[in-house]
Amino acid sequence: MAETEAFETDFWKDANLRKAWDDIVPGAPRKTIPYTLTRQAIELYCRSVGEDHPIYFDEAYARTTRYRGLIAPPSIHILLMFSCTPADDWMRSPGTVNAGQSWSYNIPARAGDVITLQARALDKFIKRERLFVVHDNVFFNQRGEVICSGRGWTIRPE
Amino acid sequence: MTTTFESLKAGDGIDGPAFAVSRESIRLFCDASLDYNPLHLDDDYMKGNFGKTNFGGVIMHGMNNFGLISRMITDWAYPAGAVHRRLETRWVKPVRPGDTIQPHGVVKSKQVTKNSRWVLIDVMVRNQAGEKVATGEAMVEFPQD
Repeated sequence: MAETEAFETDFWKDANLRKAWDDIVPGAPRKTIPYTLTRQAIELYCRSVGEDHPIYFDEAYARTTRYRGLIAPPSIHILLMFSCTPADDWMRSPGTVNAGQSWSYNIPARAGDVITLQARALDKFIKRERLFVVHDNVFFNQRGEVICSGRGWTIRPE
Repeated sequence: MTTTFESLKAGDGIDGPAFAVSRESIRLFCDASLDYNPLHLDDDYMKGNFGKTNFGGVIMHGMNNFGLISRMITDWAYPAGAVHRRLETRWVKPVRPGDTIQPHGVVKSKQVTKNSRWVLIDVMVRNQAGEKVATGEAMVEFPQD
């Protein structure tokens, strides 16, 4: 899987290139990159959370459902957040603590989809001496259809 | 018995499967999500403080909770012909290797709109001590078709 092979797993490596809380401008778009979702990536994600429903694995079964074919689990955006952003994205800053997220689902992602992300910091604030950033994200498929949209609250490293 | 919109009522429970958290499960989630934050991998790094917080060791990804809740919701919705439309979660307690966590849901309310029918579900994840590690709310659509 080319995308995974090229993916830098050492999050310290580009740490000095990433925006700190002080530098993040709410409203400014984040750099993103298109990503082709693969069946292997979906299956690996499924394994990591114990997803075993045949709609993700069994083509013949999936064709009988409302989706008319295999789909990815809705929560595949967990992978897409990192696969659609470059190594200097501040979501990779070591010490980024996830405080919560909310996501709305429109249509499923599927293997072969070329997925794009529109993302930005929406807000930043200080609460109980912690530095928060709210991030805002929408994933699209190659037809421009919304797959899902979501918002997350992270506590930024100091 | 198949779940139907009509038969659902506030207080109905939904149980997801238990999930054993280990260094291996966390590493697998790193590979599957591409989230290699040292919070989940580096014991030495985790000896330090994060502002006022000291986790005391590596912790599971918060989004692993999210994935388990989402799995519970879809496994419940698919047989009913329903669609998982929204999930909002907050992490309230860190999860560590050795913990066993389990998602649970409770139907909160139902609503009919112009074009569809919706069920709101309070969701939570508890650890082996019964402590809540994540809480939130899900929304499932029961299409009219």
